[in-house]
Amino acid sequence: MDFFQSVLMGFQVALSPGNLFFCFVGVLIGTLVGVLPGLGPVAAISLLLPTTFHITPVSAVIMLAGIYYGAMYGGSTTSILVNIPGEAASVITCLDGYQMARQGRAGPALGIAAFGSFIAGTLAVVGLMLVAPPLAEMALKFGPPEYFSLMIVGLTILTFLASGPMWKALLMACFGLFLGCMGMDSIMGTTRFTFDIVELSDGFGLVPVVMGLFGVSEVLLNVEQNLERSIFETKIKNLLPTGKDWRDSIGAILRGSVIGFFLGILPGGGATISAFTAYAVEKKVSRNSKNFGSGAIEGVAAPESANNAATGGAFIPLLTLGIPTTATMAILLGALLIYGTQPGPMLIKEHPDLFWGVVASMYIGNAMLLVLNLPLIGLWVKVLQVPYPILFPLILLFCLIGAYSLNNNIAQILFMVIFGILGYVFKKFQYEAPPLVLALVLGPMLEKALRRSLLYSGGDPAVFLTRPISAVLLLIAFCLLIFPLIPRLKKKGPAFAE
Amino acid sequence: MPRFNNDQVSAIIWFASGGFIAWGSAGYGLGSLASPGSGFITFLAGLGICFFSFIGLVEATLRQRKGGRWKPVMKGLDWGKAFLVMGALTAYALLLSRLGFIICTTLFVGFMLRVVKPQGWPVVIAGGVLAALGTYGIFELWLQAQLPRGPLGF
Repeated sequence: MDFFQSVLMGFQVALSPGNLFFCFVGVLIGTLVGVLPGLGPVAAISLLLPTTFHITPVSAVIMLAGIYYGAMYGGSTTSILVNIPGEAASVITCLDGYQMARQGRAGPALGIAAFGSFIAGTLAVVGLMLVAPPLAEMALKFGPPEYFSLMIVGLTILTFLASGPMWKALLMACFGLFLGCMGMDSIMGTTRFTFDIVELSDGFGLVPVVMGLFGVSEVLLNVEQNLERSIFETKIKNLLPTGKDWRDSIGAILRGSVIGFFLGILPGGGATISAFTAYAVEKKVSRNSKNFGSGAIEGVAAPESANNAATGGAFIPLLTLGIPTTATMAILLGALLIYGTQPGPMLIKEHPDLFWGVVASMYIGNAMLLVLNLPLIGLWVKVLQVPYPILFPLILLFCLIGAYSLNNNIAQILFMVIFGILGYVFKKFQYEAPPLVLALVLGPMLEKALRRSLLYSGGDPAVFLTRPISAVLLLIAFCLLIFPLIPRLKKKGPAFAE
Repeated sequence: MPRFNNDQVSAIIWFASGGFIAWGSAGYGLGSLASPGSGFITFLAGLGICFFSFIGLVEATLRQRKGGRWKPVMKGLDWGKAFLVMGALTAYALLLSRLGFIICTTLFVGFMLRVVKPQGWPVVIAGGVLAALGTYGIFELWLQAQLPRGPLGF
């Protein structure tokens, strides 16, 4: 099937009434969680994952992807109007977006954020269409040793996912690896660390773990604080940017799109780093750089474009290599495995409807988001006024039902509560959950690839170094591990600042 | 003031946990390189936890010598509410199959609304009932998840 036929088929899949509906639901929920501070796409996808078990994998992934990129759109609203970023990726938008709102230019700020996001999202989808198939073709040459080395690359990526010390990230990864390998050993058939609990014979499921670590723990941390929100009272008018706004912003949008797309592909790049990088680059190259921080429209356009383009880029390693580069992608990888679909090089060949359908739905979803974000801005402002005391019982309720409906088992709720408490303690002691989730998902695959490789080579570990692709991948993993240490080695002053 | 700082305490707990995992894994059989046993990967994971927690312990100890002390993790926070939520979640799990979804959910949401961030009784009652019926409609009737029924048949 050639490229254009594939794209056409993708649109046929995405435009079917059912998939259009789930795309709409995904971007709507995504915008909602983006608007609501304290509930991000990782938590939202975790909460809604069990509801997707009753629909087709294509519809499910279309909806979950919609939540991810929809959240990036929604996050800008709170940054601009309330000076509270709905998403980490929208933190930098607060700087100029909120200043624009204070100057009575909330409309153009929201407008350029939405248009910039649409343009960037569209360019990222085109990039995804062009880059993913050849990359997957190349990855078809992989055997167990190459897969093992690829998993090692995936695990080293987690050093970029964490913002704290590297030892904590790697420790959490080891713990995630252990959790991922609990239960039945698929090669020998023995059970490990089940403590005679029948429900543990398949190990810990992804859903209770992520719901606990991201959903329940977040609520536990929020209820012990008194969160107060105040919305900047301003009349939102002139959502359509003027000609001057466009002239000032178009370069920022295009540069932000390119930066976001490529940083999205890279391990640990993600939407947040993309937004910060795009802002920093724009501040350097803009003729208007002295106004950055006091309401420059480029300061809204660049990061908002970058964080949306990054979401498209992040799908490339996931769909072509089966390697998630962010926590959200790790959960999507887990979701695909639950649906019985193996992400990786064979995905495009074995499930072209899923790959091309999801890609096409992202384009359609971007158009839907433009419609949702501009005329409905008043509604999103109202949503912001929902008090947290009303919101948090509902979040917990979704967690409880989600965990239970996984296999109609009370034990899953208890597992979720345990991971909720663990997540709460981890956050108190500044241990980050994303490396754990990534290792939990990759763990069983890594174990299988390692043991198969060693069986195949007769126990010779050199097999990982003598096969060229595997050796290159291990070299990349080594560089990824060393790379974060370089700034630390160069850093002067106190080595251990409290 | 405790003698150790936060990272020292957590690293010691992790070291012990890693040791337990490695010891438990050895019991499942490590096998050989040509044929790794069931405990092989979990053993490596346990060793990894010990190794990285040891690095953390050294780093935290060096930091302590430069003045890095214990930072209270609950100070200035209404942590009792977090514990109430944990208790309510556990109680929900234990009572769900006995009371059924609708009764248990009404009580849970009502409790959250009344006790954790106190609301008026009309909000508590309406919130509890609407949340229970709304989610029952979505999950049981629409998505056909089989939610547990209580003694009254719902």
